Amino acid sequence: MTASQGPLPRLLAIDDSELIHRLLRVRLQHEPLEIHGSMDAREGLELARRMVPDVILLDIEMRGMDGFQVLQALKDDVNLQDIPVIFISATASMEDRVRAIDHGAIDFVAKPFEVVELKARVRSALRIHQMVKMLAQKAQVDGLTGLWNRTYFDRRLHQEVSEAVRHGRSVSLVMCDVDGFKRLNDECGHPFGDAVLERVARILQGGRSSDIACRYGGEEFGIILPNTMGTEAVDVAERYRVAIEAETWPGPAGRVITASFGVSDLSLLAGSQGSDDLVASADSALYRAKMNGRNRIEVAPVARPAG
Amino acid sequence: MRIAPDSNPVRSEFADDPDMADIVTLFVSELPKRIASMQEALCSGDITQLRILAHQLKGAAGGYGFPKLGEAAALVDLGIKEGCDENVVRSRLGMLAAFAARVRP
Repeated sequence: MTASQGPLPRLLAIDDSELIHRLLRVRLQHEPLEIHGSMDAREGLELARRMVPDVILLDIEMRGMDGFQVLQALKDDVNLQDIPVIFISATASMEDRVRAIDHGAIDFVAKPFEVVELKARVRSALRIHQMVKMLAQKAQVDGLTGLWNRTYFDRRLHQEVSEAVRHGRSVSLVMCDVDGFKRLNDECGHPFGDAVLERVARILQGGRSSDIACRYGGEEFGIILPNTMGTEAVDVAERYRVAIEAETWPGPAGRVITASFGVSDLSLLAGSQGSDDLVASADSALYRAKMNGRNRIEVAPVARPAG
Repeated sequence: MRIAPDSNPVRSEFADDPDMADIVTLFVSELPKRIASMQEALCSGDITQLRILAHQLKGAAGGYGFPKLGEAAALVDLGIKEGCDENVVRSRLGMLAAFAARVRP
């Protein structure tokens, strides 16, 4: 997907002068940008938190809260700290320019600005932002299968579990392991093993759009199912199991590859309700599925009511 | 023929830019009010407010095609920043007002 096909990048201008907002709206109207503005530093910061723009133009001298304070607040906010900030200021002092860059602004444009220059600097900031986002995403994606990797799985599961506990919702986890994978690798070679993992990943990715399929490690996958009860999670796992078993493979005709599944529902766990417990219980259910003959689904035991 | 160079109208550098026409016209029509607010701020001793207004005009005027107006506003801004005598600020504001009176879309 190229940048031009996605939604337009959003620019937020925070400047206490209406004159500047009018000018920016006209001067940037032909750029592939969605323009938003605020005339007040605090209000602008609130707007940034709500809309999470792709680039921010920030005035330095504003009443109440100046541009440096706004920049600091942006850098202190984990959701906003990577957004490129371009200072626009009529104060041409070298100290301010250096201070702006040292505090994490990506660029500095003096007012009155040259339109072509401003556009070029905005484009450059957006390119850098795009690259940072891409690298951040790459660091969380498994190179072979294209699924989310273990780092992402750990973070996301933790987040989903906290959300579920806070809002009294359910969250389930499906752990999936390809049966006899080591033997497949030994007998058919690693390229074939890799192809199996890719194909299984494709199947796991083709489930419900809300499910989060990750490569947990080796031939093991973890699928996080937000807002899903254990019974429903079993149905999801069953569809995966059937799809994997039905897949056709190159090589000797009639080759069947299967996978085993362990399912756990957070709300049915005994004792503490952390993401580690959810993984451990799904993993032991998976272990039982292996022990009970593979190509099957086992569910983590339901905790007895306390008392 | 009497020559009065200071009363020559000053046109926007972007007078021929159709994108800019509306906002340049708006800018020029609001300018007398803007200058009046600055004069009021000076009269009532609200130097902070005067500086904010001068600073905004300094930053924006060039963008509307009036760089000399921006320079005149910058002199007021700088005068206050450097703590000049009020008479100096008053005279610079007078020059700014005189120049502003010549501005046309």
